[in-house]
Amino acid sequence: MHLKEKLISAFDQSLDQLSFQQRRKESMERLKQDGFPTIRNEEWKYTNLQPLLKKEFELQASISSITLEEINEYILKDTDTYLMVFLNGVFQPNLSSISCQKAHISTIKNANEEQQKIIEKYWGSCLPKKGDAFVSANNGLAQEGAFVYLPKSVVLDKPLQIVYATKNDNALFTQTRSLVVVEENAQVQITERHQNFSDSEVFTNAVTEIVVKQNAIVDFYKIQNDNFKCSIVDNTWVNQANNCNCTVDTFSFGGKMVRNNLTFSMLGEHSESNMRGITLIGKDQLVDHHTLVDHLVPNCLSNELYKGIYDHNAKGVFNGKVMVHPDAQKTNAFQSNNNLLLTDDASIDTKPQLEIYADDVACSHGCTIGQLDDEALFYLRARGIPKKEAQAMLMYAFANDVLNNIKIEELKKKLNLIIAEKIGVELAIEL
Amino acid sequence: MLKIKGLKAGVEDNNILKGIDLQVNKGEIHAIMGPNGSGKSTLSSVIAGKEEYEVEGGSIEFDGTSIMDLSPEERAHLGIFLSFQYPVEIPGVSVSNFIKTSINETRKAKGLEPMPAGELLKLMREKMELLDIKKGFLSRSLNQGFSGGEKKRNEIFQLATLAPKLAILDETDSGLDIDALKIVANGINKLRTPENATIVITHYQRLLDYIVPDFVHVLYNGRIVKSGTKELAFELEAKGYDWIIKEVEEQCI
Amino acid sequence: MTEEDKILKEVTGAEYKYGFTTDIESDKIPKGLSEDVVRLISAKKNEPEWLLERRLKAFEVWKKMDEPDWANVSYKKPDYQDIIYYAAPKQKKKLESLDDLDPEMRKTFEKLGISLNEQKRLAGVAVDFVMDSVSVATSFKDKLLELGIIFCSISDAVIEYPDLVKKYLGSVVPTGDNFFSALNSAVFTDGSFCYIPKGVRCPMELSTYFRINEAGTGQFERTLLVADQGSYVSYLEGCTAPMRDENQLHAAVVELIALDDAEIKYSTVQNWYPGNEEGIGGVFNFVTKRGICHDRAKISWTQVETGSAVTWKYPSCILKGDDSVGEFYSVAVTNNLQQADTGTKMIHIGKNSKSTIISKGICAGKSEGSYRGLVKIMKSAENARNFSQCDSLLMGDKCGSHTFPYIEVKNKSAKVEHEATTSKIGEDQIFYCNQRGIGTEEAIALIVNGYCKDVLNQLPMEFAVEAQKLLAISLEGSVG
Repeated sequence: MHLKEKLISAFDQSLDQLSFQQRRKESMERLKQDGFPTIRNEEWKYTNLQPLLKKEFELQASISSITLEEINEYILKDTDTYLMVFLNGVFQPNLSSISCQKAHISTIKNANEEQQKIIEKYWGSCLPKKGDAFVSANNGLAQEGAFVYLPKSVVLDKPLQIVYATKNDNALFTQTRSLVVVEENAQVQITERHQNFSDSEVFTNAVTEIVVKQNAIVDFYKIQNDNFKCSIVDNTWVNQANNCNCTVDTFSFGGKMVRNNLTFSMLGEHSESNMRGITLIGKDQLVDHHTLVDHLVPNCLSNELYKGIYDHNAKGVFNGKVMVHPDAQKTNAFQSNNNLLLTDDASIDTKPQLEIYADDVACSHGCTIGQLDDEALFYLRARGIPKKEAQAMLMYAFANDVLNNIKIEELKKKLNLIIAEKIGVELAIEL
Repeated sequence: MLKIKGLKAGVEDNNILKGIDLQVNKGEIHAIMGPNGSGKSTLSSVIAGKEEYEVEGGSIEFDGTSIMDLSPEERAHLGIFLSFQYPVEIPGVSVSNFIKTSINETRKAKGLEPMPAGELLKLMREKMELLDIKKGFLSRSLNQGFSGGEKKRNEIFQLATLAPKLAILDETDSGLDIDALKIVANGINKLRTPENATIVITHYQRLLDYIVPDFVHVLYNGRIVKSGTKELAFELEAKGYDWIIKEVEEQCI
Repeated sequence: MTEEDKILKEVTGAEYKYGFTTDIESDKIPKGLSEDVVRLISAKKNEPEWLLERRLKAFEVWKKMDEPDWANVSYKKPDYQDIIYYAAPKQKKKLESLDDLDPEMRKTFEKLGISLNEQKRLAGVAVDFVMDSVSVATSFKDKLLELGIIFCSISDAVIEYPDLVKKYLGSVVPTGDNFFSALNSAVFTDGSFCYIPKGVRCPMELSTYFRINEAGTGQFERTLLVADQGSYVSYLEGCTAPMRDENQLHAAVVELIALDDAEIKYSTVQNWYPGNEEGIGGVFNFVTKRGICHDRAKISWTQVETGSAVTWKYPSCILKGDDSVGEFYSVAVTNNLQQADTGTKMIHIGKNSKSTIISKGICAGKSEGSYRGLVKIMKSAENARNFSQCDSLLMGDKCGSHTFPYIEVKNKSAKVEHEATTSKIGEDQIFYCNQRGIGTEEAIALIVNGYCKDVLNQLPMEFAVEAQKLLAISLEGSVG
């Protein structure tokens, strides 16, 4: 059965047990009407989902256990952190450590009565009224995921790691739904990864909403290094109030088809948004970044830097849109997308868009597709470094500078190692 | 030539100039010195007519008539020239075209025909020689990609070609190495006539080694707190500004 | 009204200078489009059978197509049955020379500032004049023929040089390429044809002046330019139309063929009537322009777009040959309620092919300006290079500026750079000019001129003057 029909029938069977029934119904109606996008849809021009959507996926997994040993490889261990582990969408309390005095870390289902009110208030608040098929499907059927609430002026004492694990005998379609609410003056750092622990195919549709209030600071790191059986459509929606700062970094190394939809809505003045990404992919992989920064109010700053290296027949897509509304005077928006193609079978389609309706703004975007700097290559070779190593070193340098602003040292180190290993550079000094 | 009385000005609610009195006669060179934030650049901007400054009181007369209601270009047409501390970049507009437009607009305001191209070219060449400016400079985009020194030299080049009655040099020495400074100062001295006047605004005494002022004024906290001759500049160089500030504060008590 | 608005009004020609109509008797057919109308147009022009067949085929294709709506423009779609597809100024006999022109038409030329005699004398520009549907005058024809250069109306070319026309017409823009090109292929009435033989450098600028005169007509001209191996030609195109309350449709197709080592420079100053301040009237300018470059050939498009109510135009280059070069230089000014969606496509197929895109948009009033471009590096395009610079200047806070660049790269040796900025004229820039005695209006004109300089520099002198007048800017660089 086509995924769309499967989801609709699953919804009809389970409606009675779901929260937010009215909102879910509306979303499923939209999915029924619109269906999943095809390449004729401008937003999906370069990514063809049809083969994936026709596959037979199970919506319920049959395996329900995973061990800490399995998880260990995929988490930060030297850093003291909070940890949330989900398996096939179900929270694993025995593998997690979420006990926290000042802030509330739980799942959407397990939140206490008081927290349910907050969930009720913010669930869906960052999403557009008419979302696309993936948002609709998630709105309709997704139930579980992390819920993180930082009350006023609480600075979370250590980072939170969220691992969405999957493990199943057959192909699995899974949806996660996370909500992060950071009140005035509060601060939080979160890492997130989706990881498959079996040989069967997984297709994930994730929605994360991040609500950032006045003066709050949020750093959200997405590590995408799943195995080659996995595809994901990752939707992240951020609402920013005034004077706050939110960063979402996306590191894409693994997975078969990865589509990231990242949207920032600037609702309060003097706020700052940062989004950075490294894409480093090879054989048969596709990574498609769609970002939107929606400047609705004056005096905000957005910074965007995405770098990509594409090997074998990898395919990269970057579509970065900056929208400046009529009232959003004094907006500063900068966007940069740099790419390296390593073979003639690799390809990159990039579309940096500016849509500007205010006159007193400074907006720019730059985009390059090219090779390593010959001068630099020559310099290294003149110092006795063989060509291959010199190239690797330069590639490493090309990607690596995106990591500079990561606030969690161990994460920075780990990502550095992944990049070095993928490129084939030996890191002589301990980072 | 220039007569400023009780000038008070600021930006929004922030008072910067709190009553300036200054008289500059033709043939004179005045230096205005003072620590950072004392209002030096505000004074020059207000004389030139920058609209973001609000004048709250006092008067500015030029050649006997008030210029308070005049637009910046009308003041320029009268012969007031401001050498900017940070000259603005205008991509695609060549230095020569900019100067040509500037000269001809000023002539138009005086009811004169535009200057013939040949004459204009001769004038520019003459001044380029005076200021040791290289060929090719004229066709570059205005201030775009200029080094700090080049920008300042360009300001003085414009001063030379426009030949104003009153030149206000706002921190013209900042960003110049000693050789460039000499060339610029030398140019200013050569341009000096008994008919024009110059106000040199500077933080350091250095420039005054090359351009010798007739009068030195110290601006502090929006007021001219001390005036004297060039010896005052030496004293400031040797002792800094603190002693004057102290003196002023004691007077206030 | 602020100073900026005032100058913008001047810059964009709020008072449309070319809004007169010429009182000339014209031969036109009834409104509407059908197979019979296509046959009638073909018959009126005494066309050979093969061309009629192509037209009918195009008409069949067009009927099955939908009007595109992906561009960032909104307008009431024309009723294609309410348009007159053929209107020609009545001429008693075929002109022997330009001196035989109808006096009314001669007046038209003069009002447009293209006194043919003067042009002949001073600039040495060969002019083809197309009014409504047909070409009415071509100057310098004989002199050019001595060099083997063919410059005539496409109707004449169909009869006199059928082999060339048959070979190249529709070879770059196929019939079914898009809705408007299909329509054009079915009903095109006239336009210019030009052929430069091998190794010949055309000694003068070739120019076509397009004019829509008759009410209710659409203009569907077709231009075909073939530059044979090693030849060079510079071609200019100008457009005006009377002020009318209804929208007029202009759906032209231009095809350029640059064979090995040839170079074509194609410049346009488009000043169709833009409609009035309330957005009533104006020309819908839906144009398909495309060129193909063979080995080491070069095509350079330069456009200054100030007119039309709606512009939908993407002059493109197919860089098929190795070492071929494509260029696109554009200034697009929109004011009031004008909408422009314009840009280019650079399709790199040949090795070492290079392209440059410089686009300068200026938006004022309540207008919308969009840059839409595609740079495509195919797998075969070893060592391809592209540089794109797309800047927008906004004047006022009611207009919108959009940049939609598509970049698709399938070869690792490609080097593609794209930069875009959006900004306004800085208050500090204006104050600096003011301080040097330059008034605000003049300062804005100066800054706008500087901003567009990279593009204006590409225009041949005769056109640069006209373009700069259009931008109400005095010529720069006469000194120094």
